[in-house]
Amino acid sequence: MASYVPPGAPRPASNANNPPSSHPPPNFRANPNSLADNLHNLNFNSAAPRAPSPLPGTPFSRQATQPRPPSGPPFPPTFSHPNEPSPWIVPPPGARPPPFVSSASRGLASNGQPVFASGALPGGQWFPPLGSAPQPPVRPPPTMAMARAPPQPPTATSRPLMGSSLIRAPPVQPASPFSAAPQARQPPTTAYPYGQPTWPLQPGQGAPPPPITGSPQPPRMFGMPPPLPNQSMTSVSSAVGQIGAPVAGASKIDPNQIPRPIPSSSVILHETRQGNQANPPPPATSDYIVRDTGNCSPRYMRCTINQIPCTDDLLTTSGMQLALMVQPLAIPHPSEETVQVVDFGESGPVRCSRCKGYINPFMKFIDQGRRFICNFCGFTDETPREYHCNLGPDGRRRDADERPELCRGTVEFVASREYMVRDPMPAVYFFLIDVSTNAIQTGATAAACGAINQVIADLPEGPRTMVGIATFDSTIHFYNLKRALQQPLMLVVPDVQDVYTPLQTDLVVQLSECRQHLELLLESIPTMFLENRTAESAFGAATKSCHQLALVPFLQETLKEELTSLQGRSIVLDFQEAHKLLQPADETLKAMAIEFAEYQVCVDVFITTQTYVDIASIAVIPRTTGGQVYYYYPFSAVSDPAKLYNDLRWNVTRPQGFEAVMRVRCSQGIEVLEYNGNFCKRMPTDVDLPGIDCDKTVMVTLKHDDNLKDGSECAFQCALLYTTVNGQRRIRVTTLSLPCTSILSNLFRSAELDTQFACFLKQAASEIPSRPLLLVKDRMTNLCINILLSYRKFCATVTSSGQLILPEALKLLPLYTLALIKSKGLRTDGRIDERSFWINYLSSISTPLAIPFVHPRMVAIHDLNSKEGDQSLVPPVISLSTEHVNDGGIYLLENGEDCLIYIGNSVDSDILQQLFCISSVDEIPAQFVLQQYDNPLSKKLNDLVNEIRRQRCSYLRLKLCKKGDPSGMLFFSYMIEDKSSSGLSYVEFLVHVHRQIQLKMSS
Amino acid sequence: MAEFLELESQDGVRMPWNVIPGTKQESSNCVVPVSAIYSPIRPLPNITLLPYSPLRCRTCRSVLNPFAIVDFAAKIWICPFCFQRNHFPPNYASISDDNLPAELFPHYTTIEYSQDSQIDQSPPQPPLVFLFVIDSCLIEEEMGFLKSSLSQAFDLLPDNSLVGLITFGTLVHVHELGFAQIPKTYVFRGNKDISKEQLLEHMSFFAKKPKPAGVIAGARDGLSAESISRFLLPKAECEFAFNSVLEELQKDPWGVPTDQRATRCTSTALSIAASLLGACVPGSGARIMAFIGGPSTEGSGAIVSKNLSDPIRSHKDLDKDSAPLYHKAVKFYEGLSKQLVHQGHVLDLFACALDQDSGLAITYQIFLFSIPLHIGILNVTMEFNDWELAASFSFLHLIQSRIPGGVGSDNLCWGLISCMKFLLGLSTVGVAELKIAVERTGGLVVLAESFGHPVFKDSLRRIFQAGDYDLGLSSNGIFEINCSKDIKVQGIIGPCASLEKKGPLCSDTVIGQGNTTAWKMCGLDKATSLCLIFEVVKKESPDATIQSTSNQFYFQFLTYYQHYSGQMRLRVTTLSRRWVAGPGSIQASFADLVAGFDQEAAAVVMARQVSFKMETEAEFDPIRWLDKALIHLCSRFGDFQKESPSSFSLSPRLSIFPQFMFNLRRSQFVQVFNNSPDETAYFRMILNRENVANSVVMIQPSLISFSFHSGPEPALLDVASIAADKILLLDSYFIMVIFHGATIAQWRKAGYHNQPEHQAFAHLLQAPRDEADSIIKERFPVPRLVICDQHGSQARFLLAKLNPSATYNSDGPLPGGDVIFTDDVSFEVFLDHLQRLAVQ
Repeated sequence: MASYVPPGAPRPASNANNPPSSHPPPNFRANPNSLADNLHNLNFNSAAPRAPSPLPGTPFSRQATQPRPPSGPPFPPTFSHPNEPSPWIVPPPGARPPPFVSSASRGLASNGQPVFASGALPGGQWFPPLGSAPQPPVRPPPTMAMARAPPQPPTATSRPLMGSSLIRAPPVQPASPFSAAPQARQPPTTAYPYGQPTWPLQPGQGAPPPPITGSPQPPRMFGMPPPLPNQSMTSVSSAVGQIGAPVAGASKIDPNQIPRPIPSSSVILHETRQGNQANPPPPATSDYIVRDTGNCSPRYMRCTINQIPCTDDLLTTSGMQLALMVQPLAIPHPSEETVQVVDFGESGPVRCSRCKGYINPFMKFIDQGRRFICNFCGFTDETPREYHCNLGPDGRRRDADERPELCRGTVEFVASREYMVRDPMPAVYFFLIDVSTNAIQTGATAAACGAINQVIADLPEGPRTMVGIATFDSTIHFYNLKRALQQPLMLVVPDVQDVYTPLQTDLVVQLSECRQHLELLLESIPTMFLENRTAESAFGAATKSCHQLALVPFLQETLKEELTSLQGRSIVLDFQEAHKLLQPADETLKAMAIEFAEYQVCVDVFITTQTYVDIASIAVIPRTTGGQVYYYYPFSAVSDPAKLYNDLRWNVTRPQGFEAVMRVRCSQGIEVLEYNGNFCKRMPTDVDLPGIDCDKTVMVTLKHDDNLKDGSECAFQCALLYTTVNGQRRIRVTTLSLPCTSILSNLFRSAELDTQFACFLKQAASEIPSRPLLLVKDRMTNLCINILLSYRKFCATVTSSGQLILPEALKLLPLYTLALIKSKGLRTDGRIDERSFWINYLSSISTPLAIPFVHPRMVAIHDLNSKEGDQSLVPPVISLSTEHVNDGGIYLLENGEDCLIYIGNSVDSDILQQLFCISSVDEIPAQFVLQQYDNPLSKKLNDLVNEIRRQRCSYLRLKLCKKGDPSGMLFFSYMIEDKSSSGLSYVEFLVHVHRQIQLKMSS
Repeated sequence: MAEFLELESQDGVRMPWNVIPGTKQESSNCVVPVSAIYSPIRPLPNITLLPYSPLRCRTCRSVLNPFAIVDFAAKIWICPFCFQRNHFPPNYASISDDNLPAELFPHYTTIEYSQDSQIDQSPPQPPLVFLFVIDSCLIEEEMGFLKSSLSQAFDLLPDNSLVGLITFGTLVHVHELGFAQIPKTYVFRGNKDISKEQLLEHMSFFAKKPKPAGVIAGARDGLSAESISRFLLPKAECEFAFNSVLEELQKDPWGVPTDQRATRCTSTALSIAASLLGACVPGSGARIMAFIGGPSTEGSGAIVSKNLSDPIRSHKDLDKDSAPLYHKAVKFYEGLSKQLVHQGHVLDLFACALDQDSGLAITYQIFLFSIPLHIGILNVTMEFNDWELAASFSFLHLIQSRIPGGVGSDNLCWGLISCMKFLLGLSTVGVAELKIAVERTGGLVVLAESFGHPVFKDSLRRIFQAGDYDLGLSSNGIFEINCSKDIKVQGIIGPCASLEKKGPLCSDTVIGQGNTTAWKMCGLDKATSLCLIFEVVKKESPDATIQSTSNQFYFQFLTYYQHYSGQMRLRVTTLSRRWVAGPGSIQASFADLVAGFDQEAAAVVMARQVSFKMETEAEFDPIRWLDKALIHLCSRFGDFQKESPSSFSLSPRLSIFPQFMFNLRRSQFVQVFNNSPDETAYFRMILNRENVANSVVMIQPSLISFSFHSGPEPALLDVASIAADKILLLDSYFIMVIFHGATIAQWRKAGYHNQPEHQAFAHLLQAPRDEADSIIKERFPVPRLVICDQHGSQARFLLAKLNPSATYNSDGPLPGGDVIFTDDVSFEVFLDHLQRLAVQ
C-alpha cells in the first residue's frame, strides 16, 4: 500500500529505472547530497539517464487521451452498484450522477449489497497494462475479492470498506522493481547497537515505481477534476435522533458502513492547473505526482478549501476554516520536476512596486507587455525594460513558457545583494550534550555521542560547515577542538547564572579541521563523565551560553542538543490548573529564544529522559527558532539509540535552509490573519525562521477584508528568503491561485479534509495550553458539528431529518474529530510532558503527517506471509477498533512517531519465533529492537517497518505490547472507534453529532 | 661600625640608636626615631636550636631569656619586662649557676625553639603548595621565554610539593591537572568577582556530598582530599599534565583591536587563586606565583582602561588623584591581601613587561631653559629602541657641544633626565596596586623587562634553588614583640600584616603596620627585614633615683614560623639597650648617643620612613622633610660655632649620614618622577624587605674602581671617578654597571685581552666581572648587569648615579672627560648649604 506520498524520504527517481542493486541506496545516509540537490533544484531527476522512461511525459500525455476530466462517467460504475440507489441520497448539487447518501437503516436493510463507498474503487478495470514493465500498486481484480468473500461471514460482504481493503490485500505481484530491492537490505539494527540501524541503510525499496504513470487514471476518491459530485453520507436512523441512548443508536447503525479512510493505493497524477483553472489537489495523505502548470504543487502550499468564498459571511456560514498550509521546502516526489532557479542578476526578481509581490504566472501583462497588473494588489506596474516581451495572440507573453516564473507555481530566485544584510553565514552545527548523572546512567549520553559521531560523517563537507560541541551538567563544558598537538581541551564554565563563552574562536571549528578530534572526543565523553555525580542539569544556562557563542561575530546557525533531565517544575496536582503546566514556566526562556532567533540560531532539542522535564518550557526555544523537539520517554539505552541517531541524522541531512524570512501575500480581499508554526515573529507581516527544513509547515490563517468577485481568482504567494546549506541566498516563491465562489456547496465540494483537519489540529494544539481541556474538546466537536450543520442546513436537499448527511469531501471529519478528542493531547490522563510534546509536535507538523498522528494506521502482521505476491508492502489498514484485534494476531500500529506492535495472547509461537525469536508471549521484552531473522516473515516485517519509516520520514519508536500490561493498555488507547474512558465510540459519536445537528436545526 | 655588624650577626638586628635617648622629649629631638631593623630568620652563625618549648612569663608571655634575673635557690626567674616572678617548672629543677639552660646563656640572646622536632621525628610535613598563575596575554616570544623558565622551575620544585595552575587573559582558566582523560579547565569570567563559596560551588567540590555548613577550609572541614587533588597535585603526578598545559598554552585567543590593550583580568585570576588555596589548603604554606606581562584591564583590579588612548597612570596622575582606577584597584588588593593573610598564603609577583602597547614608550623630558632659570618644559613622549636612544643621546650631546657656552640670555640647554626610565624600560603591570598584597603577605617580587631577561630567569631559578644561596623560603610566620614598659611600638614598615593584637605596648602614633603587637608574615626568608619603629614614652623627670635603678630597655622579638624544612620553629631574640637621659648630663648623654649611632641603619630607617610617608601622606614633600631632618640632626649633634659655617664639623659616627641623605634625595625612592609608579613600588618593596647592608647600597650605590695601578678600591661616587684607564664597577643593587674608561674600552674593542702578551689586561677586565658575579650570586632579585663603555649610551646607567660634580655648567671638563647633563646640585653644593643652615 504505497499510497502515501512520503514527503520526506529521499527517493532518487532513477532508482526505479536502474537495477536497484546497482544503484546507490537512496536512503538518507548515502544520499544527503542528493537531498540537498533536490532542494536546490539541481536536476536531480532529469539528470538520470532515463530517456526511454515513460516518465513524465507519458502519464500526462496518456491522461489527455483518457476521458478523464469531464465529471464522472467512468466513475459511477466503479463507485457503486448503480442498481442499488435506494440507500443513497442525492446531494444537493443534485445533478451529479453518483448518489452517495444513504440512510443507515436502509443500508442495513440492503445488507448484502456491496455498498462501495466512494473510496472503494475496486480496481478491476485498472489492471495494469501488461506492457508496462514496472507496475504501479494496483488493486487486484475484484475476482480475487470474490474469491475471498465466501468464507467471510455475511456481514463481511456487507462491509464494503473492509471488503475493499481485503480485496486489495491479495497481492497481485507484478514483476515489480521491488523484487530486487530486498536484496540490498541490510542486517537489522541489532548489529549496530548504537544505531547504525537498518533504516537508513536500506535502499529505497519503497520508492514508488515511477511507472505509476502506467496507470492512466488512478482511482480517486477526492481528487476528481473540478465538479466532483461525490458526496457521501453516513446514515443515522431517525430513531436515534429521538432517543438519546447512544447504545440504542449504535445498535441501529452498522459500524461497518460508517465512513473510514480508504487510502488510495496508487499514485495519482496531478496537474496543478488545467484549462487555466486551478485543479483541486489530491488529498495530502495520498500518493501523488505533481506537474506544476501554474499553481504551486500542493506539497508546498495547500488551502483548506480549494475555492475561495467570495465573502466573509459565506465562509462563516460554512463553518469551515480558511487557511493555508505552507511547507515551502517540502520534498517533491522524485518523479516531479524540480523547482527551477531563476537568476535575474543584479536587479533581482521582478516585483510589484506597490505590494512587492513577486512575478508569477498570474501577473497579467498588458499594453504589449509594457506593463503588468499585479494579481495581489491590482496595481499596474511598468515592465522593466530588460524584462519586456511582446504578448502573443492569447494575451500571454510570448516567452511565458520559457520563463519558469511565468509558467510555474514554484520558482526560486537567486537573491541579489539587496536581499542580504550580510554575506550568508556558514552552517554551524553545535552539539550540546547532557552529561549529568542521570544521562550517563541511562545511557543517553553514550547514545547521543554515538549518534553525533555517526552524524558527523553526514554533515556537508567543505569550509562552510563548522562544528562545535559542549557538554553540561551543573556546569557547562566546552571543547577546544582546534588544537594542533593533543587532545581537545575541555573548558568548564561553572557560572551558570551568568554564562559566557570561554573562547572566542576554536569552539566552533571547520569540520574538516577537527574531525579526528571530534571523533575522539565523542568516544571518550561517556567514559569521561562516568564518575559524574552531578545531578542537576543547567540546560537553560547551557543553551544560553551557546547563545553567547552566537554573539561572537563568527555566527552560528544550527544548534543541536541532547538533553536528558532538567529540574522541572513540581507538578501541580490540582486538576483545574493542569493546563497552566502546559505553558512555559517563565519568560526567560522565551526571551532567550527570541535572542536566539535574532542571531539566527535554530535549536533542536532531543529529550531523552526518565522523568518529567517540563517540555512546555523547553519547547519554547525550538518553537521560536524554527527547531524541533524530539522526545524519548522513557529513554531506553537498548532500543532508542537507533532512533536517536536516525532522528539526528535526518535533522542535519534533510533539505533545509537558514536565516529565513517568510511572508505570505494574498490578493485583495483576503489578508493573512495569523501565522502558526515554529518561528519567531518580530514584524507583523513576516516570520523569521532561523532554520527551516522540509518537514516544517507553517499554517497561515486567512481572513476577508473585502468581498471577492465571483469568478475571479484569488492568489496566494509565499515568499521564503533563505540561505541554502551551500551558502546561497535564495527566494523561493510559491504561488497558488484559486477560483472564488459565492456558492456554498462549492465550498463543501472543494473542501479539503486533510488540510482542514490539520488546521483543526494545530488550532487545538495552540489552544490547549491556555484553556481547560473540556472547552477545547467541546470547541473541536462544535467545529465539526457546525460544518456538518451548515452542510445539512444549506446544501443537503434532504428529506428525513433522521439522516446524518456528510459532505463527501468531509465525510471523515467526525472520525478524525473523534480521534482528536481521544488523542494524547486532549486526554486528561496523559502525562503533562507527553501532552506538551504532542502540542509541540503538532505545531509544525505537515499535513500528510498530521492525520496519522491522531488517527494512526493499524495493520496485521501475523499473516504477512499469506500476502505473498502483493506488490504493496503495507498490508491493508484495519480500522481502529478492538473488534478487529484478535488474540491470535499481531498488529502493528503507527502514527508516524510511535510504532506499537501488539501481540495477542494466543499467537502461534511459530510466528513469534520467526518474528521476535521468542517462544511465548510471556517472553516479550520490555525494550524492543527490531531484528531481521532469516525467515520470510521477519523479512517482511522489516520491509514493512522500513516502508513505514520511509513514508513517515521517521524512524519510529518501536514497542511491543501485550494484553494485561500497561503496554497493552497503551495500544488499546489508540483504538479510537471503541468506547472508552476517554470518549464515545465512533458510532456513538456520530449519533452525538447527529443529535446536536438536529438540535440546532430545530432550534 | 664594626660593632654594629657584630651585633647584627648575633641577633640580626641593627638599630640607629644603640644608646637610646631616654625620654620622649629627647628621642623626638634626635630626629631619627628609635627603631630597629630586624631580620627574623637571618641565618646566624651561633644560633642554637632547642628541642623543647620555651618557658614563658605568666603575665606578659615573654620568653625566658638571658636578661631574666634568676634566683637559683628559689627556682624563680624575674621577667625583665614586667618584673613578674615566675617559678621554674619541674624539668628545670636541676638549674643552678653552673648548670644553665641554653636560653639563659648570656650570649644566646637569640635562640630557636622547635617544639615538634622532639615529639616526633617525622611529623607529616605539610607539603609546600605552589599555585602558578600565568598571564597568557603575551606576545609569542615572551610566552616562549616564560614557558621555558617555568618548566625549568617546575623541575626544581621539591618533590613533595603540590602544584596547581591557573592561566588567565580575558578569562581565568583554572586547570584541573588531576583530570586524566583530557585536558580540562574551569573557565571564569574575567570581569566578575567570585567569592570563595561561589568558587567551591562552581568547581563542584561538593558534588558528591552535601555541602557542610559553616566555613569550609581544607580537608579537615569536609573538603575531600579527592577534590583537592583535582587542582593541587604532587609534583610527580602532575608533571605531564603541567607540562602539556604549558606547552599548549597559547596567547590569549580573544582578539585585541589595534587601538586597545589586551584584556587581562589579573585581579580576578589572583582572587580565584587565593580562594582556591583558601578552600583547599588554608593555614599551610602555599605560594601563589603570579607571572604577569602587562597591565590589568579587566576586573576590580584593573589599572587602566582597555583603550590605548588612555595612558597608564603616572606619578603625576597619582599625585593629582587623576588615576581613576587606582583607588579601586588598591582597595581590591587590600581585600585580597586580607584574605591571603588570613589564610596564611603568599603572593609572589613576577612582573615582566616589555611594553606591548607601544614598544618602549618613555617620557622624554627636554628641558629648555635659559639662564638664569628655566622658562619652560617641553614634554615629548616618544618610542625608543635602545639604539635609537643611543642615537638621540649623542645627538643631544652634539647640540649641546655646539651651543656657545657661557652666560647669555640665548643660552639653550638640553637636559636629559629619565635615566631610570631606561634602566628597566618597562611598561606597567600594576605593581603599584599589587604592592599591598605582595608586601603584606611577604611575597617576592621581581620586575624585569622581559621573561627572557636574566633578571627574571635567574631570579626564578634562585627561588627554587637549593644550596648555599637558597632563599630559605619559610612560611606562616607570626611575629610578636615584647618590650619594656617605657617603650611603645608605633608599627612596622616591612613585609608583614598586622594581626590586630592590641595591647598596652601599642603606641597611639601609627606607622606602617601598627596598633598591634603581633604581625603575620605569610612568607619570609633569610633576607626579610622588618623595620620596627618605637616610641619612648618615658616622661622627662628630674628624679634621678629612678634612672639609677635601671637604665636598660629590653626588647624581645618572637618569630614563629614554618621553617623551610617543614618544622615549626620559634626564634626568640631578646635585646637590651641602655638609655640615657637627664638634663644634668646633656653633654655626656650626647656623646653616648652619638657613640651608639648607626648611620647606615639610620639611613635605611629614614629611607623606609620617607618612602612610607610619600605613599601615605598627601602633599608630602620628601626633599623638604629629609633636608629638615638632616639639618636638625646636624645642628643637634654637629660641632660648630653659631653662624659660622666653616666651623662646622661632625663626629665620625655621623659623618657619612649627610652623604646618605644626599644620595637618598637623588635616589629612585624619592625622585619618583623619573619612574613609573610600578617601578617605584617595586624599589620600595625591595627596600622594605632588605637588610641594612643591601638597603644602603640601594640608597648609595657602591663604586669600585679597577686599574693597573692598584687593586680594586672603593671610589668616590662622583663623576670625577671616571677615568679613561679605569674600570668602574657600580653596584646600585638593582643594576650593576661595569664601566670601561675610554682607553680601556678602546683596548677591549681592539681585542688586546685575547692576546697572550696582554694577559694582565685580560685579568683587569675579568676582575670586575668576577666581583659582580659574586655579588649577583647572593642577591635576590638578581640585579641587571650592564657592561658599557665610556661615552656609550649605556653609560647613562652609571652617570645617573654619580655625584654631578661636573655638569655642563661647570667651568671645565674634568680629567675623566665626562660631564653629567643635569641641573641637580652636586654634593659639594649640598654640603655647603647644609653647613650654612645647620649653624643658624
